[in-house]
Amino acid sequence: MKLLVPIFLNCVFVTVFYLLEKKTGFKKLNYILKQILIGVVFGGLSAFASSYGVELLGTVANVRDAAPLCAGFIFGGPAGIVSGVIGGLYRFFSVYWGGGVYTRIACTLSTMLAGFIAAVLRRFMFDNKKPTWSYGVFITVVCEVLHMLMIFFTNMNDSSYAFEFVKGATLPMIIGNSAAVGISLLVVSFLNRDIKKGKKKNEQISQTFQRRLLVLIVIACVVTSLFTYFLQSGMAEIETREVFTSAMTDVITDVRGKSNETLLNITENIRSEYENNKAVSLDKLAIKYNVTEINIVDSQGIVINSTLDELIGTFDMNSTEQSKEFMVLTGDETEFVQLYSPQGIDGVTMRKYAGVSLSHGGFIQVGYDADRFHNMLDDFVIDVTKNRHVGSTGFVAVCDEELNLVTHTERNGKHISTIGIIPDEVMLEGKTATQLYRTNIINEETNFSEEYIYAFTFVEGYCIIAAMPFAEAMLMRDASLYTSIFMLILIFAALFIFIYFLIKKVIINNLQKVNGTLSEITGGNLNVKVNVRTNAEFSSLSDDINSTVSTLKKYIAEAAARIDKELEYAKQIQLSALPSDFPDTECYSVFAKMIAAKEVGGDFYDFYSFDDNTVFFLAADVSGKGIPAAMFMMKAKTIIKDLSERGLSVNEIFTLANEKLCENNESDMFVTAWIGKFDLSTGKLTFANAGHNPPLIVHADGECEYLKSRPGFVLAGMEGIMYRENEITLNKGDKIFLYTDGVTEATDKNEALYGEDRLQSYINKNKNLKAEELLSGLKKDIDLFVGEAPQFDDITMLVFDYKKKEGTPVKEKIFSATKDSLSDVMTFTEECLESFECPMKNSMAICVAVEEIFINIANYAYGDGNGNASLSFGFNENERIMTLVIKDNGIPFNPLEKAEPDITLSADDREIGGLGIFITKKTMDTVSYSYENSQNILTMTKKI
Amino acid sequence: MNINIEKVDNSTIFKLEGRLDTVTAPELEQVINNEGEALENLVLDFGGINYISSAGLRVLLGTQKKMNAQGSMELINVSEDVMDILEMTGFADILVIK
Repeated sequence: MKLLVPIFLNCVFVTVFYLLEKKTGFKKLNYILKQILIGVVFGGLSAFASSYGVELLGTVANVRDAAPLCAGFIFGGPAGIVSGVIGGLYRFFSVYWGGGVYTRIACTLSTMLAGFIAAVLRRFMFDNKKPTWSYGVFITVVCEVLHMLMIFFTNMNDSSYAFEFVKGATLPMIIGNSAAVGISLLVVSFLNRDIKKGKKKNEQISQTFQRRLLVLIVIACVVTSLFTYFLQSGMAEIETREVFTSAMTDVITDVRGKSNETLLNITENIRSEYENNKAVSLDKLAIKYNVTEINIVDSQGIVINSTLDELIGTFDMNSTEQSKEFMVLTGDETEFVQLYSPQGIDGVTMRKYAGVSLSHGGFIQVGYDADRFHNMLDDFVIDVTKNRHVGSTGFVAVCDEELNLVTHTERNGKHISTIGIIPDEVMLEGKTATQLYRTNIINEETNFSEEYIYAFTFVEGYCIIAAMPFAEAMLMRDASLYTSIFMLILIFAALFIFIYFLIKKVIINNLQKVNGTLSEITGGNLNVKVNVRTNAEFSSLSDDINSTVSTLKKYIAEAAARIDKELEYAKQIQLSALPSDFPDTECYSVFAKMIAAKEVGGDFYDFYSFDDNTVFFLAADVSGKGIPAAMFMMKAKTIIKDLSERGLSVNEIFTLANEKLCENNESDMFVTAWIGKFDLSTGKLTFANAGHNPPLIVHADGECEYLKSRPGFVLAGMEGIMYRENEITLNKGDKIFLYTDGVTEATDKNEALYGEDRLQSYINKNKNLKAEELLSGLKKDIDLFVGEAPQFDDITMLVFDYKKKEGTPVKEKIFSATKDSLSDVMTFTEECLESFECPMKNSMAICVAVEEIFINIANYAYGDGNGNASLSFGFNENERIMTLVIKDNGIPFNPLEKAEPDITLSADDREIGGLGIFITKKTMDTVSYSYENSQNILTMTKKI
Repeated sequence: MNINIEKVDNSTIFKLEGRLDTVTAPELEQVINNEGEALENLVLDFGGINYISSAGLRVLLGTQKKMNAQGSMELINVSEDVMDILEMTGFADILVIK
């Protein structure tokens, strides 16, 4: 009961410090400082438990070892060691204030060892974590067993006392200490569960082994113990019996010798009196010498005189076996003593006989009753048995025939049962014990009842009892039993730890290596090899894993190659779907370039023209990459082109394309696109933007800017989107640069983007380059920017060039309106026509017309005054239409109103006038006149 | 414009080369007028003429009218381009073109 106080205190301290550690700022303290603090506190606790124990055989059974164990298990190795040392030292010096000397060294060492064991096991076996309560209890038991063994070993010269001590202290100390440690660990694990919800871990391999081993060892322990128990019991019995026998034999020899000697002396005295006076009364002699029977026998063996009258002359000594033995006295023998035994005559009455030969033949035989000669022997018997020890604490007792004690001084005359020995049949019959008996005997001096083991035998009418304490008899048995159990526990503990480390070395470490490599493999590195070669099993496991991985690698490589090939085909198909026959007319040109990234993407450009007057051009980017994007791109491209062919406006094209692309678009792909529709005759560009990057417009006058418009939502993103149409009129020489985000979002290794500003500045610098050079130059610029980073996205670029007419601007010249200027006029006209590459035939017709009109002006426009006439030639290269405008400031005159000459008249009737205008009207395709700003303006066109 | 005049029997052959336009037509008219009444059969060789304007036509018409009175006139070796003009203006009908 007294042990409960330190156990309870131990739990309280553990709880307090654990909570301090987990829930307060205590854990922020320096580790070493904390360990020392806890070590000191638990060392104090150990010291307290040391003196607060149960008194036992002059020393104290205590729970001193629990505190260092708890400190080591729960708070860390150093704390355990510190508290173990403090507890141990306290115990060592406690002898000066009343501590037991007997177990001083053992207790000191074992307390220090407890702290050390806790520290070492926590560090190496429990990976610096708390053990479970069951492990804690087990280790505590082992520590206490060590403690007990140490008590043995430090007191080898006094092993029986040491054993007594161990026997008494073992259970309370084991139970007390393991209760303290077990409860503390349980409390902590309960608190811990509160803090973090316990997660059930799978059992470790070593635990499985240890569990099985524990069962095995327990069975082995029980079997060995039983075996030891029975073997040692048998041995102890035999040994005890020997001890008893030897003690009793000594007593028997002494008693019997004394008895024989005494009786022979008496017999001799009787004989000498008889021989001196043969007439003496035998009865008187018998009374005088206090004997029961005196017989005088002749040399023939016939009783010739006796105290028993019935025997005289009738009894022949040869007639019974018992009496016949005395016949030796008729021979050479002079003395003969017989054992106390039944009379030959009735075979029942117990009597002792002695005989001495008579000088004239025959012999005298004296018979004694036990109670008669006992009076003579009792003192001797007491003397013989008094100081005789059986073993170390056993004794010999002697009773008379009635089983009343003779030798037990204080109990003399009392029946044997008064000391606790209940006679059985064997004893009552006066026979020697054939077995060992056990009974409780009350010690005369201490009055303590103690279990004794005894045996008995009878001699000369005495009952001799040899007894010794049962514990003493069984000391060796119990000692070997305890030692074997202790050793088994130690062996188990050693095996336990050995198996733990063996498994850790042979299996766990290898498994961890394999697992480490496997996680690297699952992480994507298929090139690592598992290489654990410490034993055949792991070697073969390594080989299996390696071959699996290499097979896997082969399949992956094959699959990758196949996919690469398919992607390559897809890329080719995609590229072949893009128009590559770039138009380059006199009026406009389109050039485009798509550089696909490694993976097939969804960029595309397109341009087409369904009549002579309209050109469509567009760029688009499908979200995502790979085959799906490529297929979606084909679909989008086809739909947009189909819709364009219907003559719709660009916004309608996008609106309808969006509806179609939204249908069944379960992959949630979308397209950004920009489409332009250019009217060649008017220079009007209408365009629509579906979430695409704004194109650049490069103006003929050199400015370069983004053609920003409010973009609509992406195509295929959502149904019901209406797109806006934007309009701009291009001047000749303007260029539109379309691109996809592969250009602006090209990324260098520092994640910087190429960006719109860089693009604009590049285009600005290189605007005069031909489209083809411009685009390849831009690609180079992007490559230079990106550096070694891989191309991430498709790059698509398209240039639409509304061409400026080279060498065919309107040619204008002013001439003096006189006939003399005609040759200059004609020279100018011919030059112009030549630059238009005008065919000879048309050239003449035009020259004729110029001459006719110019001469008209020269002749009539200014009357008698002077004036000028201007000629301006225009030429539409595309349609090869020449336009001629002739202006003069003369009197208003519309030559087209002049009546036409009748060309059917005969030569004599013909008028020559009006023929020039007539020819002009006939040869030109169109002739028109207007009078504006005081100018006669005659415009003529002709396709040449 | 170059004009070579050859006389074979009673025919006068004017071999013309160059343009017959407002500037040159009066020259031709002058040369023809210089020959005066002596002309009986006038042959205008247009082999070298690649251009004719209404001024030229006027000379041709005037000469034709004159020759109708005193003899005959014919045009030879007319180029296709010139022929187009002659046809267009109805001169092909009133001139003798061989």
